[in-house]
Amino acid sequence: MITKINLSVFLLAIVVLLSACKTKLDNPKPDNNGLERAAILSHYANEIILPAYNQFNVKFQLMAIATDSFIAQPNASNLSTLRSAWISAYTEWQKVELFDFGPAEKETLRNFYNIYPADTAGIQANILNSTANLEVPVSFAQQGFPALDYLVNGVGSDRDACLAFYTDTNNGSKRLAYLKRIVTRMNGLLGLVVTNWSTAYKDKFIEKTGLDIGSSTSLMVNGLALHYERFMRSGKFGIPSGAMLNGVIAPEKVEAFYEKEISRTLALSAHQAYVDFFNGKSVKTGLEGPSLKTYLNALDAKDGLTGKSLSQILNEQFAVCKSKMNLLQNNLYEEVKNNNQGMKNVFTEMQAAVRMIKVDMSSAMSITITFTDNDGD
Amino acid sequence: MTAIEKYFSKQVSIAPLAVFRICFGLLIFGSMLRFWGNGWISSLYIEPKYFFSFYGFEWIKPLGVYTYAIFFVCALSSLLVALGLFYRMASILLFLSFTYIEFMDASTYLNHYYFISLICFLLIFLPAHFAYAFDAKRNPQWTYKYIPQWNLDALKLMMAILYFYAGLAKLNSDWLLHAMPLKIWLPARNDMPILGSLFSNSITPFVFSWAGCLYDLSIPFLLWQTRMRAYAYGAVVVFHVLTALLFPIGMFPHIMMVAALIFFSPKFHETLIHKFAKFMALISTKFKGNYHRKANSCNSFQANISSRETAASFGLNQSAASTKSVQAYLAPSYVKWVFIVFFAAQILLPFRYIFYPGELFWTEEGYRFSWRVMLMEKAGYAQFTIRDNWGKMHVVNNTEFLTSLQEKMMCTQADLLLQYAHILRNHYAKLGFDKPQVYVDSYVALNGRLGKPLVGSETNLAEIADSFAPKTWIIPFTDDIKGF
Repeated sequence: MITKINLSVFLLAIVVLLSACKTKLDNPKPDNNGLERAAILSHYANEIILPAYNQFNVKFQLMAIATDSFIAQPNASNLSTLRSAWISAYTEWQKVELFDFGPAEKETLRNFYNIYPADTAGIQANILNSTANLEVPVSFAQQGFPALDYLVNGVGSDRDACLAFYTDTNNGSKRLAYLKRIVTRMNGLLGLVVTNWSTAYKDKFIEKTGLDIGSSTSLMVNGLALHYERFMRSGKFGIPSGAMLNGVIAPEKVEAFYEKEISRTLALSAHQAYVDFFNGKSVKTGLEGPSLKTYLNALDAKDGLTGKSLSQILNEQFAVCKSKMNLLQNNLYEEVKNNNQGMKNVFTEMQAAVRMIKVDMSSAMSITITFTDNDGD
Repeated sequence: MTAIEKYFSKQVSIAPLAVFRICFGLLIFGSMLRFWGNGWISSLYIEPKYFFSFYGFEWIKPLGVYTYAIFFVCALSSLLVALGLFYRMASILLFLSFTYIEFMDASTYLNHYYFISLICFLLIFLPAHFAYAFDAKRNPQWTYKYIPQWNLDALKLMMAILYFYAGLAKLNSDWLLHAMPLKIWLPARNDMPILGSLFSNSITPFVFSWAGCLYDLSIPFLLWQTRMRAYAYGAVVVFHVLTALLFPIGMFPHIMMVAALIFFSPKFHETLIHKFAKFMALISTKFKGNYHRKANSCNSFQANISSRETAASFGLNQSAASTKSVQAYLAPSYVKWVFIVFFAAQILLPFRYIFYPGELFWTEEGYRFSWRVMLMEKAGYAQFTIRDNWGKMHVVNNTEFLTSLQEKMMCTQADLLLQYAHILRNHYAKLGFDKPQVYVDSYVALNGRLGKPLVGSETNLAEIADSFAPKTWIIPFTDDIKGF
């Protein structure tokens, strides 16, 4: 009887299943440790995210001090100190902007830190209105690093003109007050995020080891995917080069428009931080630890045709993106105007990386994106 | 009398069907409450700006805030079905409202919703309210103790088709030889208590794949056999509890565990009812004090039933059954033909994929309504660019149009992708694009393979019309998945 055969096969399968359980429970295989998500989350929190925020905080505080000095004495020397403090804080920011999950997502830190191009008319209006609401979406581009870019680099054609902006008898003090207001606001938000990470959230982050929606890994991977797609690919290259809209170039939409010479440095800094995060490179020691890379390797995610691991494929694509960025000059504003194909090439390669992050990596990891029932596609 | 005639004239106790009606009605009622309570009515059917349709059913759409009314009708009719009150009307309403809900947005398609719709359809024609029902109580002359065997077997057959076809669909190289997609899904649950470490083991997905396939193929036959039934039902419980723990599949495991009870003997169901009635009577006496002494002796749902005949119509006291209530119910002859056509369609429909060239898992032409469950880990990415002849160009942000669920489904299912392209075409035409052209940068990963484009980036989707014809605009799958 067919049913008898089926039954015996079925029972056999159960026996095999149970014995497999037993083997597993008796000898946990060491090569499966790579699948332990708590270790990965812990490494990310302790070795990368928290130290990176701390490093950024150090740079930010230097900028805050430089701002105070400049406000106390708006002279050439204090302006150049503030300018270089702004550059190093902005560059360091690129290494934490990618953590757009958990506390930073809760405070929507990025919205208040790095939405560009700066809304100069809005900034001018806010200067005259010391109670302007800086929490609404329309205010995003009136604060943060892009607004500081305008305020320290862009309010005059040269250094003396910039100084004159602040020493103006009518509005100088209001302008200085707005500068202070922005830095204070950024500092407050940063404080909330750093405090939350170093107290309650860190343990929660490490404990929520699932992959369902709301789990740490799911939030992290979705946040990282969005960051790469919208804020690195589109923001830094796609929009200025016109690859996103009408093919019309928009060089004025590059990051750090008033200090154009650092625009490529910012992009490279952000990209390197992203790659290092993927590879689990500790901010403290520079050594790699449990990470998305090791997890994908433990899952044995690979190209079935060539046998090449997905983590390697991703790293190779990241390297291609970086090499395309290295072909550009420092001033991306000029690149858009004179060598836009170079900008578009970066965009195209980053687009390929976006697909891999959003599809190949998320799918291999079984990241959930919705709350609803599912019977497997 | 031929064997077939003999089979169709065979009578059986109504008890299993009545128990099925009650449990099934209550489960749907529970599902509706759960759906409502989770806020899904709003988030799935009211908040989204656009909805996807099944080809030919474009006229079925959510009704804005009145969508709640459809769910209310569905919940109410499921409760009436469970009670066996106004049963015919309720079962028709239940089928229509549930199916309407299912068809409102194709991106929410689930096989188990389809299963519920089909069962509701069958229930319309089944005499499930002729005992243990308020209809039977109201109309003692319409109570029956026996029904045709084939009425009961129809439900069993529907379940058998679901399982067997789900098993057939697993006979493919991805499932059996590569343990896909379980190889991807199980490690994701390795932080579960007790069982967790099992899912880090690379053998586990293979064991689960093979066991699952054998389960699906054999379980209907095992349930049908008296000798095997208890073990088989044990396997049903183990299998569905496991799937409920591992995967976010909602009510499905519970529905299947309860529905599988239909395979048990009339005696089993009668005992079940008696125990339940005793329990109810006990509660009733406790609440009402000792007013109704009969309550205990009567063994009824309604402890205070006075008429012996009515008690019999609730089927609780065999010895007291009157001549009328013992009478066998004979189904109208058209029902037999409805069922024959229905089951022929059920048996053939899952094979319609044969008419489409290309890999079924890739094109999904003929994939739905075929009991293909948990077979694919499919993820996709689709970035649309709108152009026109005047040089206008825009890259679309999908989140402005779709929910994350809709976007996920649209990226991987060609027919939904095309519908979305047409939504974009119409939208951008209104924004001043002249005959908008819609192109997509698509990328789809299937069962652990690296992503590949589903549609060529030069294909203008605005010009392609949907139909049941093979979608030649899909880029063919490069790998080979053998099997069903």
